[in-house]
Amino acid sequence: MAVADLVRPSAVTLRQLNSSAAARRARHSTIKIWVGAICAGIVVVPVVLAGVLPLPDPVRGVLKDTSLPPLSPGHLLGTDPNGRDLLSRILHGGQTSLIIGVLAIVLSGLIGVVAGSLAGYYGGWVDVLVSRALEAQMSLPLLLMLLLVVALFGPSITVITLVIAVAQWPEPARLTRALVLVEREKPYVAAAQVLGLRRPSIILRHIIPNILPQVLVVVFLLLAQAVLLESALSFLGAGVQRPYPTWGGIISDGRELFVIGTWWLVTLPGVAIALLVVGVNLLGDGLRDRVRRVKAAT
Amino acid sequence: MAPYLLKRVGQTVLTAWVTVTIVFLLLRLAPGDPAVSYAPPNPTAAQLDAIRHEFGLDRPLLSQYATFLSHLAHGDVGTSFQFREPALAVVLQRLPFTITLAVAAIVVTALLAIPLGVWMARRANTAAELGANIATIAGQSMPDFWIGFVLLIIFAVNLQVLPSSGFTSLSSLILPTLTIVILQVALISRLVRREMGVNLAAPYVTIARSRGVSESRLTWRYAFANSAIPVVTALGTRFAAMLNGVVIVEVVFQWPGVGSLVVDALERRDLPLIQATVLVTVVLALVVQLGVDLLYPLLDPRVRLGAGAR
Amino acid sequence: MSDPTPLIGTEGALLTRAVSRRSLLQLAGFLGAGAALGPALAACAGPQSSSTSSAGAGSDSLSIILNRNLVSLDNKLNQYDAAVTVQRAVRQALTQIGLDLKPQLVLAKTFALASPTTWNVELRDDIHYSDNSPVTVEDVETALKLYFQVSAGYVASQFAEQPTLTKTGDRTFTLTTKKPLVTLDALMSNILITPAAANKAEELREGIGSGPFTVASADSGTGTYKLVRNENYWGEKALLSEVNVAYQEDEGARVIAITSGQTDVIDTITPESAASLKTKQDVEIVQNKGTRLIHLFYNFRKPSSHPLSRPAVREALSHAVDHDSLISSLMAGQVTSAEGVVPTTLSGYAPTGTYTFDLDKAKSMLAAEGVKDLKLTFIWEDSEFAGASRVLEAVGQMLDAAGVGVTLKQIPKGGDINGWRRGESGDWDVLANGYGNQTGLAITNLVGQYGGTAAKEKTRDTYQGFVVPEISDLLDSAGSEPDAAKRDALLKSAQEKVWALWPAMWAWTPNNLLARRKRVTTLDLSPGNYYDLATVAVAD
Repeated sequence: MAVADLVRPSAVTLRQLNSSAAARRARHSTIKIWVGAICAGIVVVPVVLAGVLPLPDPVRGVLKDTSLPPLSPGHLLGTDPNGRDLLSRILHGGQTSLIIGVLAIVLSGLIGVVAGSLAGYYGGWVDVLVSRALEAQMSLPLLLMLLLVVALFGPSITVITLVIAVAQWPEPARLTRALVLVEREKPYVAAAQVLGLRRPSIILRHIIPNILPQVLVVVFLLLAQAVLLESALSFLGAGVQRPYPTWGGIISDGRELFVIGTWWLVTLPGVAIALLVVGVNLLGDGLRDRVRRVKAAT
Repeated sequence: MAPYLLKRVGQTVLTAWVTVTIVFLLLRLAPGDPAVSYAPPNPTAAQLDAIRHEFGLDRPLLSQYATFLSHLAHGDVGTSFQFREPALAVVLQRLPFTITLAVAAIVVTALLAIPLGVWMARRANTAAELGANIATIAGQSMPDFWIGFVLLIIFAVNLQVLPSSGFTSLSSLILPTLTIVILQVALISRLVRREMGVNLAAPYVTIARSRGVSESRLTWRYAFANSAIPVVTALGTRFAAMLNGVVIVEVVFQWPGVGSLVVDALERRDLPLIQATVLVTVVLALVVQLGVDLLYPLLDPRVRLGAGAR
Repeated sequence: MSDPTPLIGTEGALLTRAVSRRSLLQLAGFLGAGAALGPALAACAGPQSSSTSSAGAGSDSLSIILNRNLVSLDNKLNQYDAAVTVQRAVRQALTQIGLDLKPQLVLAKTFALASPTTWNVELRDDIHYSDNSPVTVEDVETALKLYFQVSAGYVASQFAEQPTLTKTGDRTFTLTTKKPLVTLDALMSNILITPAAANKAEELREGIGSGPFTVASADSGTGTYKLVRNENYWGEKALLSEVNVAYQEDEGARVIAITSGQTDVIDTITPESAASLKTKQDVEIVQNKGTRLIHLFYNFRKPSSHPLSRPAVREALSHAVDHDSLISSLMAGQVTSAEGVVPTTLSGYAPTGTYTFDLDKAKSMLAAEGVKDLKLTFIWEDSEFAGASRVLEAVGQMLDAAGVGVTLKQIPKGGDINGWRRGESGDWDVLANGYGNQTGLAITNLVGQYGGTAAKEKTRDTYQGFVVPEISDLLDSAGSEPDAAKRDALLKSAQEKVWALWPAMWAWTPNNLLARRKRVTTLDLSPGNYYDLATVAVAD
C-alpha cells in the first residue's frame, strides 16, 4: 500500500510503511520462498533432466577410473571405486529418491486428509479410533518398525513408498482434524446442512477446499522428511537394491572409504540431500507464512 | 488425579504390550532363518534343526507367544541368541550409554535453543531474524548421518582433536551430542520463537510496558514464564523420542548404546534381543512422556488433568 | 493433549502466583540440572572402567580392537580367526597350529599315531591352571565330550566322528576312532581345556585356563575384555602385562582409532585401509598370504540341459574375467589369484592350474559350445568379503563384454542366504562365497566342498550340489591314509580331477592384513590370521 494510494496526505511515510512488521513479514516470506525455490531447483531440475543430460552411465563404470577425486577431467564430482561417475549417480539416484518421496507424500496426504476430516467432522467413535491410532503411532519406535517391515516385505520401491507414507500420515491427519473441528462450527456449514446436503458432500465440496491451502503446505513440507527418511533407510541397508544408486545407498557404500581419503562419496550426495531438503523446507515455510491466518494474540 | 494416573499407566502398559506383540509377530513372520547366523559356516540341515530347536523356533507361533508372555510376567524377555545371556541384562548393560547421550543432548539443546529462540523473538521481522530463521531451517533439514560424517571428517580424521568412536572418555560425547543438538536446537528454538512471539504481542505485556516495566524483565519474567510450559513439554517429548531415535547417530559414531545394539541384532536376527530392546525403549519413552504430562499442571495452574484433557 | 489457550492474565495475578511458581521452577531447575548431570557423570565414571584405556596407559600393555564382538572367550559354538588370538591367550589345547600351519604340541608331551585308528597322547607334567590346580586327563575327557554335546557346535563339525578317550595312565590316554582320522592332532588344537568341574556344554563366560593370560574383566555386551599376565604360568611368561580388547564393526572407526593412538593393533583390515595406513608414520602393516578362499562357485544343481553343466562352458566363463584389473583396481593388490583348488598355504595343497584372462578365447569357446544369450544370476550375502558388491558389479560388466547377461542379487544378512544355497529360495547360477579354514589342512576344504555324496545331497547338505563319486572316494581314502606321502598323492589326484571340472569361475585368497603401531615391536601373524599374544612385545 503506497502513500500515493491514499486519498489524503498522511504523516505516515512510505519508508515507515515499508519497515512495518507486516511489510517485513511479507518481504521475508518472499525471500524465503525464492531462496528455497532456488536451492530446491538446483537439485530437482538436473535430477529430472538426468535422462537427457550427457552423463556417463551411473551403473556401468570404467574400472581404471577408480576413485578419482572431484574436478578430475570428465568427472566433475569424481568417481567411486568401480569407476562410476558420482555426479551421474547422484542425479539418477535422485530420481529414485524423488519418485519415492513424491509418491509417499501424495499417499500420506490422501490418507491423512481423509482420516483427519472424517475424525474431525463425524466425531464420536471415528474420532476416537483415529486419535488412538495417531497416539499409538507416535509412541512406536519409528525407525525400528520401518526396518522390520522392510526386512519382512523386501526392499522394493513399492514397499519403501508405502512404509514412508504410513510413517507420515499422522501430521496431515492431525492438522486436518484440528482445522475441520474449527470449520465445522462455522455458519456456512450449518447452512449447507439446512439445505439438505449430505455430510460427505459437505466435507468434500465445502470444508476441504477451505482448509486445503494450509494442509497442502504441510504435505509439501513432508517431501523433505520423506527424502530424509528414504536416505536413512538406504543408509541402514534397507534401501532399494543395487546396482541402482540411491542417495543413502551411495553414502552407505562410501562409509568405509571416507576415512582413508575418499571423502567425496559421503559428503557430496549429502550436500544434494541437504540442498533439496533445505530448499523444500524454506519454500514450505515461506508459503506457510503467506497462507497462515494471522494468529491474533488475545 | 488418581484415576487419571491410573488411566495413563494403563495406556502405557497397553501400548507397550501391543508394540512388543507386533514386533514379536513381524520377527517370526519375516523371511530368513535366524538359526543360520548361529550355525557353523556351511551348515547341514541337521545342525540347523538342532539350533532351531534350542531357540524354540520350531514350535508353533502361538505356543512361542504363550511362552514369551509367561516368561515376560516373570521379567524374563528371553535369552539372546548371540550372547546366550538374558536379553534384558544385555540391553540394560548398554542402556546407560544411550541415556547419557540423550541427557547430554537435551541439556545442551535447552541451553542453546532457549536463548536463541528468545533472541529471535525479540528481533522479530528483522534481517537478523531472517538469517537465523533460514539457519534453523537448514539445521533441521540436514540428514543426521551426514552431519555426523562431516563432523567426523573434520574433527576426528583431519584435525584429530576428538575421538571418533566408542566411549573412551568424556570427549567422546562431544561429536555425537553435537550431531543430535544441531537438529534439536533448530526445532526447539523455532518453537520458543513462536511461543515468545505470541506472548510478547499479548495485551498484558503491552500494558506492562506502558507502565514502565523494563524490556528484559518483560521478556523473561512475563513472556518467557508463559512460554516455558509448551517448551518444557516439548523438551520432554523430544527426550522421550531421542531414546528411540538416536539409532543413526549411534551407528555413525559406534556409540555402545542400545541403538547400535538393535541394528546389529536386526542383522543377526537375534529375536529376543530385538524384543527386549523394543520393550525397554518403548516403556522408557512412555514413562518419560507420562512424567512430562504429569508435570504439566505443576507448571500451569490453569490446567486440570483428567477432565477434558487429551 | 489440548493446548490451553493463553488466557488474558493481569500483571497482578501473574505476580502473586509468580513467587510460588518461580520458586518451584527454580527448584525444578536445580533438581533437573542435578538429575541431568548426575547420571552423566556417573555414567562417565562407570563405563570408563570397562572401556579400553588408551594405548600406552602403562608400558607393556597392549590395546587391540577386533571387528566383531568376541561374545565369549570360549569357542564351543563359534570361532573366527581374530577370536582365536584372544581365546588361546587364556585357554589352551593339547596342540596348536603353528606359524607354518603344522600342529605343535602345547599341553601334550607326545601325540603320536599308534595305529590308523588310535593315537597315544601323554600330557606334560608341568602344566597347571592359573590357580595352580593341575591339568588332568579327566579335564580333557570332559572337554571333548562337551564340545560334541553342544548342538551344531562349530568345532565339533570339523571332526568326521567323535573320538573316544580312554585313560591309560595318570598322564596318558588314547584317542580312538572307528575310521582312521589321520589329522586328529591338528583337529584337537581347537578343543580348549578347562577344569572339568567348571566346564559346561555351552560357551563359558568365566572360568580359568592354563594359558599365559588371565581374565581381569569381561563385558560381553559391549565386547570389552581385559587380560592380565598370568604370573603362575607353567611356561615362559608373557611379555605383555596387560591386554585390552574391544571391538568396532566400522572399518573407518578402527582406522581412526589406530591413527589417533587410541589402539595398538587392528586386524582383518580391508585392502583400502591398508593402502591408506601404509602412508602413516607410526603405523606398520603386516601382511601374509591367508588361508581363506573366496570363489565364484557354480550351482551344480542345474539340469544337464543347462549350458552351465558343461565344464567347457564353465572354463570359457573363467577366461572372461580380467582378474588382474580387479586385483589392482578394487582389491589394492592384496589378494592372490588361486593357483589350484585350495589356498597355497594349506598343507596338502597341490598346484593344478591358474586362471587366465583371454576374452577372445572365452568368446570362441562359448561359440563353439553353441552358447548364445546366456543369462546368469549371481548371489552373495551382504558383506561376504570386503568390497563384494564392487567386485561383483565389475565381474558382471566383464561377462557382459563376452556376451553373457548378468543379474546381481545381494542377499541381506539375516540367514536368507542359506535357503538360497540349499536351492530352496530360487534359481541362481553363481554364488560368491568365502570359505575359511581353521585346521591348516587342505583336506578340510576338499571334503567340505568336493566330498559331497548322493546321500548328503538328499538333505541338501552338499556344497551347492557338487557330487562326483570318483572325487569323494579319493578323499575318503586320503582321509584314512596314515602315510603322509601317499595321502598327499591321493589329495593331489583329487585336486587335479576337481580342477578339470572348473567348479569356480574365479577364486582368490585374500592376504591377511593387520595394522600395528610402531610401539608394537614383535607380532608374528600366522597365515590363519591369528597371533600368539604371549610373544607380542611393546616398546615405549
